[in-house]
Amino acid sequence: MAVPVIMPRQGQSVESCIITELFKSTGDAVQKGELLFSYETDKASFEEEAQESGTILTVFFKAGDEVPVLTNVLVIGEAGESFEEFTPGEVGTISAVTENTSKETTLVQEEMANNTIHESTRIGSSGGQQFISPRAKHLAEDKGIDISLIAGTGPGGRIIERDIIQAAEKGIKMTPLARKMTASENLTSRISGSGLAGAVTSADLAAIAQSSGDDYEISPLSNIRKIIANAMHQSLQNSAQLTHHLSADARSLLALRQQAKQKMSEGDPSNITINDFLCLAVIKTLKKYAQVNAHFLGDSLKKFKNVHLGMAVDTDRGLMVPSIRNADILSIRELSTEIKNIADACRKGSVDPDILSPEAASFTVSNLGNYGVEMFTPIINLPQVAILGVNTIVPRPKDLGNGVYGFVPHIGLSLTYNHQAIDGGEATRFLKDIALEIENLEVEF
Amino acid sequence: MYDLAIIGGGPAGYNAAERAGAKGLSVILFEKKNLGGVCLNEGCIPTKTLLYSAKLFDNAKNASKYGIQVETAGYDFTAMMDRKNKIVKKLVGGVGVKMKHNKVEVIKTEAMIKGRSKEGIEIKAGDNLYTAKNLMICTGSESAIPPIPDLDQSSEYLLTSREMLEIEKVPESLIIIGGGVIGMEFASLFNSLGTKVTVVEMLDKILGEMDDELSKMLLDNFTKKGVDILLSAKVLEIKGKKITFEKDGKSTSINADKILLSTGRKPITKGFGLENIGVELFGNGIKVNEKMQTNVPNVFAAGDVTGYSLLAHTAYREAEVVVNNLTGSNDHMRYNAIPSIVYTNPEVSSVGYTEKLAEEKGIKYKVARLPMTYAGRFMAENEGENGLCKVLVGDKYGEVLGVHMLGNPSSEMMYGAAIAIENEMTLKEMQEVVFPHPTVSEIFKEVIFSF
Repeated sequence: MAVPVIMPRQGQSVESCIITELFKSTGDAVQKGELLFSYETDKASFEEEAQESGTILTVFFKAGDEVPVLTNVLVIGEAGESFEEFTPGEVGTISAVTENTSKETTLVQEEMANNTIHESTRIGSSGGQQFISPRAKHLAEDKGIDISLIAGTGPGGRIIERDIIQAAEKGIKMTPLARKMTASENLTSRISGSGLAGAVTSADLAAIAQSSGDDYEISPLSNIRKIIANAMHQSLQNSAQLTHHLSADARSLLALRQQAKQKMSEGDPSNITINDFLCLAVIKTLKKYAQVNAHFLGDSLKKFKNVHLGMAVDTDRGLMVPSIRNADILSIRELSTEIKNIADACRKGSVDPDILSPEAASFTVSNLGNYGVEMFTPIINLPQVAILGVNTIVPRPKDLGNGVYGFVPHIGLSLTYNHQAIDGGEATRFLKDIALEIENLEVEF
Repeated sequence: MYDLAIIGGGPAGYNAAERAGAKGLSVILFEKKNLGGVCLNEGCIPTKTLLYSAKLFDNAKNASKYGIQVETAGYDFTAMMDRKNKIVKKLVGGVGVKMKHNKVEVIKTEAMIKGRSKEGIEIKAGDNLYTAKNLMICTGSESAIPPIPDLDQSSEYLLTSREMLEIEKVPESLIIIGGGVIGMEFASLFNSLGTKVTVVEMLDKILGEMDDELSKMLLDNFTKKGVDILLSAKVLEIKGKKITFEKDGKSTSINADKILLSTGRKPITKGFGLENIGVELFGNGIKVNEKMQTNVPNVFAAGDVTGYSLLAHTAYREAEVVVNNLTGSNDHMRYNAIPSIVYTNPEVSSVGYTEKLAEEKGIKYKVARLPMTYAGRFMAENEGENGLCKVLVGDKYGEVLGVHMLGNPSSEMMYGAAIAIENEMTLKEMQEVVFPHPTVSEIFKEVIFSF
């Protein structure tokens, strides 16, 4: 009785397998236990043994064909028997053989290598995208073969295991030493090298390893880095942010700083910095712009009555943004002390985690002026509506009146705002007001 | 307009001309003396011709060891020199024929590089100006004169290898300054001919970079034959037939009929207009890359003039690298498997890493050695002699790193070792090679199997 031999299913996820080699053809006599064909999935290669003795009545596929699992590959029976009913595509061809199918899971690399392979592999002529079975890819990596130089003989030019074996055997001329090295040290090779008549030598392998292998190191991200990465990415993904740049006459700021220095030299313990005065100006302005001192919640705007000022702090462990609660009720001395204290706490790692949350602040200032940055686009700490980037002080020409121009120190301001929450006009007015506040800042301390 | 102009008709020059001509390039070769260079005219070939006569004489003297009676062994130095001259002449003529065959235009005049023009590189020879797309400099080397104070180079007793090959009479006594390859070959030659030979070497060993063990073996062999070899001896003065040297803090003077200066060779980079195209030097030689290109586009250098590996066979290969690249096949020079032979009797041959070099480079190796008498053929032909075969292989994979031999005819076997090294063959592959039996070369196989 004619019996079909199917392509076995190797694992639940395997939809089809590629026939790597057919050991029998139509008309051949076959004994039970003899090998019929070998095939490979993406992960392994297998061999199919005959479960019956008889004659091969027909073979439906040829080597290199990709065959859906459980499809009939060939039919064994007595010579002259009909096999039409087993032609793939016919209903009911999947027989009970499924369960009997031997699951020979031996790897056949060795045997493949020893078998004569008929189809020729063109080397060095492929172009465009390459398809390769993972199994072949793995072997290529093992043998150190550059797959870009191999033309596949699988369906649609896909590179399959035997292509790699062939390339390894014939294609790449390697010295015996280079061959041993690629086999045991996981080195990759090129198709030609610097040895006799272009043979790949040990020195070539070493050079390739040096140029492509060990010139980097992968280190896992710290937890804080992962959080920052996620927050920054989310911010850009989930808002409509853009930045306006503007600069303010910094003479008042510098005069105030000068005054503070003077007081310090007279024994005053507070070291009030330019950043402290600037924050004060920002806080004063925020009091007038409730829609900026706010959180954007998608369908509503949460406007804060008080200013909870977030401060970007650069630490060894990464960026931290602690907030100063109710900053608007602090005097300049208190504000200055508070800013120093929380920055120190961040750097020491003793900061209260609650004030690090983006929800804790209503607005953030990020000052890169100390580093000489002239302009940047800070990223909003969502759900806050905006963030002010503070830049370095640079001299700019200014009309000093009566057609007299002079160079006046200006401090750069970069406001990133969420256009979902506020419009450009508002943002500009807010930024301009900060500049005016800075230019006209009068503080008693 | 020529595709390739070559200055110097030695091994690099004539080989490049022959190969390039064969590939259809139009080639012009300038040689101010004879084709063949130092190698053919005053180096390799004449010395090997004389050394063979000396070896025959050695054999005649030792014939009784082999059951042969030679009534009176003797030599006729004039006949030896005549034969040498005849062979040199024939070979030089042969090079000329090869040039004709390959349509190489040979100009027997001194050449001078004039400069570059839009068309190419201009070379003046005699009254003619030649232009070539590419220039190859193969001007070779000359004997280096050591910095000995007040050295009278015109002294009739003081010779370099060139003059030594023109002497009319075998000297009674000979002092050789420099125990390198050239010095030891002359020591071998004149010792065989009965001259009292003294070798004065500045280093603590002879044969320079050669394997220490083989160097010591040859020293012992020659000492036994009556050659006086003085190591770590610094020559202070040469006056007429007398030299004064310092050894172990003592200065001593000795006399000889002739004094041979063999303290190395230096590239010839002056006198032919190298400066006119701005070719850069490195040390004494012309600076080249692995394709033998100089710093000037389309200008190449090959052979001794690079000062890197002053050997005729290196020059041949370097020349071929230039021609291959000029004719469209990518090629580069490799120096890891260049054989080095000392044609003394017995010969010392070497290719690849010595133990010392491997240690310096931090290469992990295994070494095996066997006496040459393990090869039956060696026993048959070298009565009472011994030698050594030493092989270095990589520690991990067993690739052949170096092969060193003392014994005749090791020079003829070195190419096999060079192939093994070039191909990075390991012990496994070598074990599968069939060596003809009985030959001395089987010693290589024996050592391979002794790992």
